[in-house]
Amino acid sequence: MMQQPPLTIPQSIDVQRAEKHIAPNSTPIYVLNCPEYEVVRLSFVFHAGTLTQQHPFTASATANMLAEGTQNLSAQQIAEELDYYGSYFDINIDRDYTYITFCSLSKFFEPTAKIIEEIILRPTFPTAELEIYRAKRKQQLAIERRKVETLAREHFAKAIFGDTHPYGISYPESEYDTLCREHLLQHYTANYTAQHCIVVCSGNITAQVLNHITSIVGALPSVQVEDNVTLPPFSSSRLRRIQHDGAVQSSIRMGRLLFPRTHPDFIPMQVLAMVLGGYFGSRLMQNLRERNGFTYGVFSAMVNFQHTGYLAIATQVGCEVTDQALQEIAREIELLRREAIPAEELELVKNIMAGEMMRILDGPFGIADVTTENILCGFDNSHIQQNLERIRQTSSEELLTLAQRYLCPDDMTTVVVGEFNG
Amino acid sequence: MIKYQHTTLANGLEVVANRDSSSRMAAINILYKVGARNENPHRTGLAHLFEHLMFRGTHLVPDFDTPVQMACGENNAFTNNDYTDFYITLPKDNIETAMWLESDRMTGLNLSAQACEIEKRVVIEEFRQRYLNQPYGDVSMLMREMAYTTHPYRWATIGLKPEHIAEASLEEIHSFYRNFYHPSNAILSVSGDIAPEQVFELAHKWFGAIADTPYTANPIPREPVQTEPRRMEVEREVPATTIVIAFHMGNRLSHDFFLGDLTSDLLAGGDSARLYEHLIKNKQLFTSVNAYISGDVDEGLFTFTAQLLPTTSEQAAEEALWEEIGLLQSGNISDYELEKVKNKFEANTLFGELNVMNKAMNLGYYSMIGDLPLINREVEIYRSITRSEVADFAQRTFRKDNSSTLIYRAR
Repeated sequence: MMQQPPLTIPQSIDVQRAEKHIAPNSTPIYVLNCPEYEVVRLSFVFHAGTLTQQHPFTASATANMLAEGTQNLSAQQIAEELDYYGSYFDINIDRDYTYITFCSLSKFFEPTAKIIEEIILRPTFPTAELEIYRAKRKQQLAIERRKVETLAREHFAKAIFGDTHPYGISYPESEYDTLCREHLLQHYTANYTAQHCIVVCSGNITAQVLNHITSIVGALPSVQVEDNVTLPPFSSSRLRRIQHDGAVQSSIRMGRLLFPRTHPDFIPMQVLAMVLGGYFGSRLMQNLRERNGFTYGVFSAMVNFQHTGYLAIATQVGCEVTDQALQEIAREIELLRREAIPAEELELVKNIMAGEMMRILDGPFGIADVTTENILCGFDNSHIQQNLERIRQTSSEELLTLAQRYLCPDDMTTVVVGEFNG
Repeated sequence: MIKYQHTTLANGLEVVANRDSSSRMAAINILYKVGARNENPHRTGLAHLFEHLMFRGTHLVPDFDTPVQMACGENNAFTNNDYTDFYITLPKDNIETAMWLESDRMTGLNLSAQACEIEKRVVIEEFRQRYLNQPYGDVSMLMREMAYTTHPYRWATIGLKPEHIAEASLEEIHSFYRNFYHPSNAILSVSGDIAPEQVFELAHKWFGAIADTPYTANPIPREPVQTEPRRMEVEREVPATTIVIAFHMGNRLSHDFFLGDLTSDLLAGGDSARLYEHLIKNKQLFTSVNAYISGDVDEGLFTFTAQLLPTTSEQAAEEALWEEIGLLQSGNISDYELEKVKNKFEANTLFGELNVMNKAMNLGYYSMIGDLPLINREVEIYRSITRSEVADFAQRTFRKDNSSTLIYRAR
């Protein structure tokens, strides 16, 4: 058999800096020009996540209803026009932000921009469309909540942030019945403003395309607001077991509250989470899947919010091996606290992380996503190279210290959803 | 438009290469022409189990993943009814690492009894996670069992039941490897900033010395023509009743495949499509509705699904779907609507050509179906489709005696 070929490990990742423009209403527009791709991708990020809503489900309903009727176009006309040009948009909402991303072929950007303008600036949230939306989402949520992993995710958020904390809370499906047009209008008016928005565009951004984007963004109303969301204190609990009749697998979530991406320990904690369960050959995968066959998959990662962040481990295992799996997870965490990670394993993890960054940054859309995340954390794209260097500098000794500091069993929250009577 | 070059090594391995100068990454895809359709009805799920075993290490490389990851790479695989696909993306300078690993596991797999036992448990957990522990998880299984009496599409890739996986013997696993994993049953495709000639050279270097072990697979039984409507009703612990209607349609290389694909876009491609506008927005019968083709190599299925609002009766739901079918059959399609789905198809094709992995995977797929140039001809084929062709397709395909209806009732 032939010899293993030599390796080249990339030492740097060059990513273009976003060019910053300011619309007349002071909304920043970040441009990543990649003229070799005949596409335009335009993202609006509003500081309008669920944290800002005054009534259950308002943030998601507002975002999802933007294209369901505007001053000049009906929902059907919007859908028709976008489909006709092969353009599309995606809505993503988290606790902090709402992301609205449009994609079109360059040759169809002009007609697409006319629709974007309507969707962003002139939505009317018609009652009839809202009724359809409510019925649909209510049923979808009921279906989602038949899944153990959905329940585990919701209960885990409650368990680490607190049951009524805005980062932790979830609502019964029946709250959809109380949602009305006024809630959406109020949320839109308060949060879809120049001061709450950043815009990121990538692809072939010609001067003409940028002009068009600037004119849309510049029309967002300027509303001077006091932005002092004060979060209530977090309150974490240790263990929750939730019975789910008839489940054949339990969903497990374990983790703890830590800190946001801006914290100096965030990157090394990402490395530690990677060692534990961030890749196919990770310690938890080796143990739970490869050695014991308890699960199809197990993962761990650092999760970033604007005001905090947490470490989470997630898996689904056969109900009958739930307790064994919990013990094995605890054992792997304990090992990280007791013994320094061998040099070869750490080297491997660092290479995986470098490769992951390169893969995400391959292509104009991925670069735009990373740029957006950096901007929201107050960084520019030179941060990518700094991250890579920070990962390279992380030592086994540092990770041992961090594991001892942050992975104390008494600080961990565990949620299990499954069949405990079967 | 994907530019490519193609060659076949002396041992029968097909190699396809695309040069993408804009990327620092390369994608290496290896497709084996074996899927669940090559399984015996008494030992289903074997092709997929075997895909898992391909990651269990060889005599030379005991752990497949580590060298990929050391090379800053990522790898995965999937199995469907027709084929099994393995792919690695990594910085292009490390492409030989991928070639080395793939050539090594084409012959040197270490299939120990212990590895097989653990992997079976993993796959059974996958069975539970994806099919048994999910609301509506068994819908596609029930539909396959009803729509097919003979053809192996009767079972899903995961298999008919977990016992088939649990009871697979080491001998069966070994002969599966021997029969289906050899050069002339595989296609290597590469996309990245590497000249095609260099890809061919590397393919020769790493795979050229592997001896082929040709094997004549059992012919796949043909599905007899369906002559009567079929119907199945089940009750499950789910929040909403779902109705599924499936029809047999043409194979991947027939013109009906393109007609079926375009028809499914007319019905359900995007929020402006007919089913969504008519049945969710206007008549408010469903919370979701869809129409899609299975996309199989052999004769596949055209499927309608609808999830009912609590206020909608099963009868009204079925009638509404048949009414939509009637509209298509009578040729009630505007030029604008047809133009729209063609534009959308063209745009999606272009969006799909933006990264090396999609391209490598597609090159392997089109080689496998035996018509590589089709990869760049499909947009033109869709452009040529007329209203009357769609109406004719709907008349021939959406007949009661070609239908299988599943009522999946909320308890």
